[in-house]
Parts: sequence; C-alpha cells; structure tokens
Amino acid sequence: MYFLAYPFANLLLLLYTLLGQNTVVAIIALTVLINLILLPMNLSQQRSTRKMQELQPEFEKLKKKYAKDPERLNQEQFKLYQKVGVNPLSGCLLLLIQFPIWFGLYRAIVYCVPSTPIQLFEFSQNIYQWLPGVVGLVPLQSTFLGMDLGQPPNLVQWWSYALPVLVFVTSIIQQRIISPPPASDDQSQTATMNRQMQIMMPLMTVFFTLQYAIGLSVYFIISNLIRIIQYSLVRTKRQDKAEAKS
Amino acid sequence: MLVWLAVLLLGATGCSVPISSWTGLTVSEGQVYASDVQQVQVLNATDGEVIWAFPADPKEENLGEFYATPAVNETYVIAASRMPPGGFLSQRQNIVWGLDAKTGQELWRFDEARDQYIEGGAINEDIVVIGNSDGNVYALEIATGKLLWKLETGHRVWATPLIVDDTVYVGSMDRHMYALDLSDGTVLWELETTGAFASAPVLHEGILFIGAFDNRLYAIDAAEGTERWHFQGENWFWGSPALYGTTLYAADTAGNVYALEAATGDRIWHVALEVPVRGGLAVSDDGTLLFVSSENGSLYALETSDGFERWKSEGEGQLFSSPVVSGTMVLEIRINSAEHIRALEVDDGRPAWVFPVEEE
Repeated sequence: MYFLAYPFANLLLLLYTLLGQNTVVAIIALTVLINLILLPMNLSQQRSTRKMQELQPEFEKLKKKYAKDPERLNQEQFKLYQKVGVNPLSGCLLLLIQFPIWFGLYRAIVYCVPSTPIQLFEFSQNIYQWLPGVVGLVPLQSTFLGMDLGQPPNLVQWWSYALPVLVFVTSIIQQRIISPPPASDDQSQTATMNRQMQIMMPLMTVFFTLQYAIGLSVYFIISNLIRIIQYSLVRTKRQDKAEAKS
Repeated sequence: MLVWLAVLLLGATGCSVPISSWTGLTVSEGQVYASDVQQVQVLNATDGEVIWAFPADPKEENLGEFYATPAVNETYVIAASRMPPGGFLSQRQNIVWGLDAKTGQELWRFDEARDQYIEGGAINEDIVVIGNSDGNVYALEIATGKLLWKLETGHRVWATPLIVDDTVYVGSMDRHMYALDLSDGTVLWELETTGAFASAPVLHEGILFIGAFDNRLYAIDAAEGTERWHFQGENWFWGSPALYGTTLYAADTAGNVYALEAATGDRIWHVALEVPVRGGLAVSDDGTLLFVSSENGSLYALETSDGFERWKSEGEGQLFSSPVVSGTMVLEIRINSAEHIRALEVDDGRPAWVFPVEEE
C-alpha cells in the first residue's frame, strides 16, 4: 500500500527545494501535481456521474415496470448502462485508486516531517540522493501557523482542529457539486444511497484527518478546492453549450 | 460500504500503533539501566538479575512507553515516558521521571513538555537537561524536577545533550549545534550546518565530534563553536561516534564504518557492512574491538586496527541502540524480540546472560 510513499516523499523534497523551502507550499504543489495526474480519471468520473443522474428517470420507470422481476430489472438496467456507455463501478474504481495515493502521501509527509524516529530511519535508506539539493533537507520545517505538520490535530494546538473542519466543509461542497442531492421526497434506494454518500465521504475524510498528520489535511483541502473549481468550470462550460444550442 | 473499505484498508496498511522508537541502556557501577518500553529495568550487569523495575507492575500501573535511555548518577535515575491518553480527546502526556537510584521509587515527575522524548537526558549532580520533540531543551532541578530554564530551538530536539562543567552541548533538528550556559540556558554559541543533529556529541581535547543528516561528521571547536573539519559519508550519521586514543570511529546509516584521524578527519580505514546502522559505536576497554549494532539484528565486533570482522552475533528483532561495553561484556538492547537485553563476551560474542530469562 505504501509503494508510492518513497517516490512521493522524494518528490516532496525536490519541490521543497525548488519552492523556497516551505513545507506547506511543497505539499500544495505535490497535491496539484497528483490532481493533474488524476484529472483524466476525475473528468471521466464526472461525466459518468452526470450520465447516471440523467438516467435516473429511466431507472425509476424500469423499477416500476419490473417491480416483480428483479432479474429482468438488472438486465434492463445493464442494457441501459451499456447504451449510454456508463460504468456504474467507475466511482469505486476512482476511490480504489485514490486510497494508495492518500496513504502514499500520508507516509511521505510522515517521512519528511517525522514525529517518530523509526519512520525517519526507514526513510534515510530511501532518499534519492542523486536528486539535486535533497541531501540534508530532512526533516523539513514542520511548523505552519503554530501547528506541527507532522502531528495529528491536538488540544495543545487547538486551532489545528480548524483543518479537519475545513476538510469537512470543502468535502461537502465538492460532493454536492459532483452529485447534487436528490429531491427530499425521492425515497428510492438510489436516492437514499446518494444521500448517504453525501455525508459518508466527507465524514470518512475527516476521520483520516483527525488520525493522521496535519500535513495530510492540507492535501485534502487543496484537492477538494481543485475539484470544486474543476467541476464548476466543466458545469459552466456545459451550461454555456446548452444555452448556445437552445 | 465505503467506511468498511476504509477500515479494511487501514488494517491492511498497519495503522495500529507500532513501536515508534527504540529502547536504550546505560551501565553504571555494575548495574544496567534500561528503558524497556513498559518499564525501566535495573539489572545486575554480571548476571542480568533484576534489582528493581519502575513501575513494578506495568499491568497495574500503566505509566506509558519508556524509550529514552535513562540517565543515572549515584542518587537519581532519570527516565522519560509517553503516557497513553486518559480518555476521548485527551492528549498523551510526556513525562520525565525522577527516581531513587537505589529503590526505583518515584521522587518527582515533570509533565510540561508537549511532545515525545526520544533520546535520554544528561545529568550532573544538580541538573537534568533533556531535549523534546516540541523543540525545547528543558533543564530541571534534579532533586525536585522543578523547571529551571528552557531553550526553544527551531525544530525537534531528539539528541541527548552533553554536559561538561558549566556548559551544555546539544544538537537540534534545526541544523544547529548549541552551547548553552548550564546555569540559565544562555546561548554561548551556535553553529549552523547543513544537516539535522539527532545524537549526542563526543568531546575530546576541546573538540566536539558529532554526525548529522547531511552525511557529514563534524569536528567543532567546543570553545568557539567553529567547524574544524568535516568528513563526508555516504548517508546520514545518526549514532554518536566513538573515540579511542587519537582515532575516531563512526558509522553512517548505510552501514559504512569509518576510522578517522581525530585531529584531521583523514580516513584510516573503511568497511561497508551493507546493513543499515542507526546506533552509535562502542570500543572495548583495551581498544582492540569496535562494536557496531545493525538494524537487521546483528552485532558486529570489528578489529579497530583495520575493520576486520572478528565476530558477529545475530538475533531476532532489531538493534537500533548503541551497544555498551562493561568490562569483559558488551551489552545490546533489542526491539521486536523476545530477548530484550543480551550481554555478550567481548572476546568471542558468546552470550553471558539474556533478559528476560526464557521461562522453562
């Protein structure tokens, strides 16, 4: 699971050197880079989500039509997916790809801003010493607004809990932009799942940020902001196109 | 489903609390003082018999994890632990313990530091000086644990300080070596380098020898705080070097062991053990053998004359801490092993005793 940790940690060191030896700036730059790599996948997921939303009325019709024949309902739903070219598992696939990235990045932050010596010793064996300027860099400067980036949020630095709050807020906004909540009177299974997802994903992210180094919160906040901007831009573009057509 | 997926992945990635540091030991007046995670153990150096332990029963009294090497004088044993959080949203406490050297009774505790103590403190008759991960160096009155002064550095302080007369020498992760006035913590000089310091310096004829994370071993004028020379290794120098006569021995974390002229830093010999080395080095009393502990659990005895391997003792777990020579024995302390402490014969590496004793 941590196979990305050493490459990420070394990349973080390089960015730290190139960007004025500021740890938060280096984490932000690494987050932007990671999101650029994930951009095609994110856009594809966004398209998929939109198509799924557009298909909801069709699904509801099918559910009513084949209410007593679940097997047939599945077949018809599958046909509908195929017809519009949607993979219903694409959301989970993106999540599965993102998990190793989160863990890799978490580990990279822990290596570069270590709070325990064994983690640091592990990393000492895996620094790419051929990278320019990385020798002697570790540990990176760990203080940001009086918080220790290598530590989880804590009561001593009480204001560090602002970061998980920001993670939660940006995650909620992101979720709402990706898939707007279904109508409150919609009691279908899909709508219920959708509502649960709207809250579960942000809560899960907050769970991570409360457990792990504050530096990881910076990654989540920047990632969420990037996706909010990205989705908003794509949506605006689509609306412009639709208006031009009409 | 997503939450379960997350929990599953967390489990798969080993997010349970692992051993975060390494234990350490010191020998004084025929007794071994060791941090042994749940307790401070005091053993008889000749046979490994337990003299006392603190806390006596860690199952009844959980005082946290003891990793930092105890500091000892005739009257006091100074240990440090990281207490578990007391409840939801409560924080771990980081405590320096003042113990009676004869009985192991608690005399005082100091709990003002915000983060973990990694290496142990340094003491003289009156004062304890210890670094903390919160970036401070704390000086406490040894009889009461009262805070006398503290110095804030720019990063974590993992290194054990060195007290010489009225001066404290301590390195910080902020890449500075500091000389402080023992009485009030005034900075007498500070030397900025290109690497973090995480070990105790060794002083010899007015020169401090200390390794850093910029792959360099520094020789620093103890009075002026100026660099005399530095030696370039292939990886970090984390453990303290050892000095015998005019030769300085040091190992980098890539497992390269060097013998250098202490006066000039010129290399005499070099051996690549090809195993990661974290701990500092130790030399036998007669100066013929150099002991190097490695992360793969092997203790090497090398000839000081040319680095030839005289013997190697293997064991399970890992050796992160420095070996300690006590007369005809060399002692090692392991983590992730059923054998926590082993005393080996200096000459051939045969085990003299093991702690804890395996139950029949």
